[in-house]
Amino acid sequence: MNKNTLKVAKFEIIRQLKKPAFWAATLLIPLLIGVIYFISFISAQSVETEPTFDENTKIAITDDAGVLSSNVPYLINGDKDYGIEMVKNGEVDLYFYIPADFAESKKADFYHISEGLEIFNNDGNILKMILSQDSASRVDELDVIALTSGYEIVDNKLAKDGADSNALGRAIIPGFIGVVFFMFIALCGNRFLLTVVEEKENRISEMILTSISSKHLIVGKIIALLALGLVQILALVIPILAIVFIKRDDAFISSILSTIEIDPVLITLSVILFIASAVLYAGVCVFVGSLVSTARDASSFIGPAIICMVFPLYFMQMFMATEPNLIVQIFTYFPLSAPIALMLRSCFGTIDTLGFCIGIAVVAASAVVAIYLAIKTFQKNAINFSIAKPKFFKK
Amino acid sequence: MNNLVEVEHFQMSFDSKTVIKDLSFAVKKGEIFGLLGANGSGKTTTIRALLGFYKPTSGKLLLNGKKYNPENTKLTVGYLPEERGLYRKETVIDTMVYFGNLKGLKDPLAWSQKYLKRVGLEDKSSEKIEKLSSGQQQKIQLGITIMNDPKLLILDEPTKGFDPMNRRLLMEIIEELHEKGTSIIMITHYMDEVEQLCDRALLLKDGTVRAYGTIPDIKKEFKNKSLDQIFVDIYGDSHE
Repeated sequence: MNKNTLKVAKFEIIRQLKKPAFWAATLLIPLLIGVIYFISFISAQSVETEPTFDENTKIAITDDAGVLSSNVPYLINGDKDYGIEMVKNGEVDLYFYIPADFAESKKADFYHISEGLEIFNNDGNILKMILSQDSASRVDELDVIALTSGYEIVDNKLAKDGADSNALGRAIIPGFIGVVFFMFIALCGNRFLLTVVEEKENRISEMILTSISSKHLIVGKIIALLALGLVQILALVIPILAIVFIKRDDAFISSILSTIEIDPVLITLSVILFIASAVLYAGVCVFVGSLVSTARDASSFIGPAIICMVFPLYFMQMFMATEPNLIVQIFTYFPLSAPIALMLRSCFGTIDTLGFCIGIAVVAASAVVAIYLAIKTFQKNAINFSIAKPKFFKK
Repeated sequence: MNNLVEVEHFQMSFDSKTVIKDLSFAVKKGEIFGLLGANGSGKTTTIRALLGFYKPTSGKLLLNGKKYNPENTKLTVGYLPEERGLYRKETVIDTMVYFGNLKGLKDPLAWSQKYLKRVGLEDKSSEKIEKLSSGQQQKIQLGITIMNDPKLLILDEPTKGFDPMNRRLLMEIIEELHEKGTSIIMITHYMDEVEQLCDRALLLKDGTVRAYGTIPDIKKEFKNKSLDQIFVDIYGDSHE
């Protein structure tokens, strides 16, 4: 790598790391997001405690522990395998298995056909409701009341074809990478945009471009921006991973961890996509910054680009469908929307490896084009101090 | 080759407006060359085209026989532009060291400290640029311009905004560099500076040459008038 590129990158990294505003943004935004997620998690928990099901829901229960009274209408005589077969055959929608060691293990199993990615499925709580109602009717049997509190219902999802399904487990790592990328956009956008505007706004371009080419200046700045973005992302991710590690024995976290499916190909492609997407985003921001003369102008131009990038999130439902429609395909291969569209589809498991690779190639090629345009535009507009809008926007 | 800068039949148009019309001149090695003219006469445009910021509409602009590329030349160039600025939020020393690194100085910190002491700003080295007065900022910009011991120094209105003491200091620095063999192109509106420093000069009006040669030759051409008077005679009817 060119030594001037590295000199620029080093200067940009050090000067940002020295700024209190950088650390404020790095630490405060994740904190804010943590609070928001905590509130939504609590809300989800409260919803979870009140399950509802209509009369048409077909339920079956095998009670090897004998905690339910014979009044419960859903009890069957068959064993666990029989119950699972009933779910696979579509004879019932929900099957609950209460094992003989329920009193010790405090765990019951819940089987249902998965319709795709389900993070919070409330249906398991139906058994809690049945147990609660049944035990309330037997107030004299204290043992039963004690037995039917403080237990866990393990969610076992089955795919439509009857095989075991672990859509959530497969989605966790690509989904996590997607969330990190979203955070990257939120945290770094402004800095990416202003990095070259500063040279023009402060009239530094002419002095600096007599010492270094615009190519090395721009590439050095982009390297610095990505490195700083990495610092911010690590500041966000490390505490999350630390909490997960410390709380790994917690029932909720351990159930999530136990479902994680490590697919090396998917994880590798997701990481490559993340890197290509980050470079594309940086390239687009720097390109926009090169087009205009002031930070104020830049902010009005970057809006549409960011909207394009996050637009797929507004069509989340479409991305969950196994067969992608035309809109999903357009989002998947349109350069600006491709990063998040590909992340969503890999998360929901609705894209094959070839399609994923093509999408990554589109993002990577677009990143190179964006950087090339940024360099050429900066070169052309470096001393354009007074014209607020680029030529093609003028009447 | 005796010429460090060669401009041949340079023409520059922006949209449909031609601002430089067939301009040719040369700057010899080791000389101080005055590029003179009223506002809007095309001086800064010529320098920007020379340094590659503008692509000429036609003609050749060469530094040491080649088109200028900052990273592909043995010619060290120092340019103090008309539009001056620095990283306002950075400290004086960090800014100077950064530019020193980019210009390939072996010990930019030591050079910067020595320069700051010379121009009386040694106590400002840890200050942010935005805290300095405009005159102090100009001294920092001048330091950055000359820190790589340039073979060609281009100064666009270098004394603009300087008080008489700092103007004298700048003159001293220019003369020192000249003694070391640096070629200097100076754009200025102060004719006394031209008379004091320049070996040769070129007067531009509306993108064309109105006078070109040594200072005595130019004076002779205009009946031995002072440069100030020559300037008024040339631009008097069209001065903004």
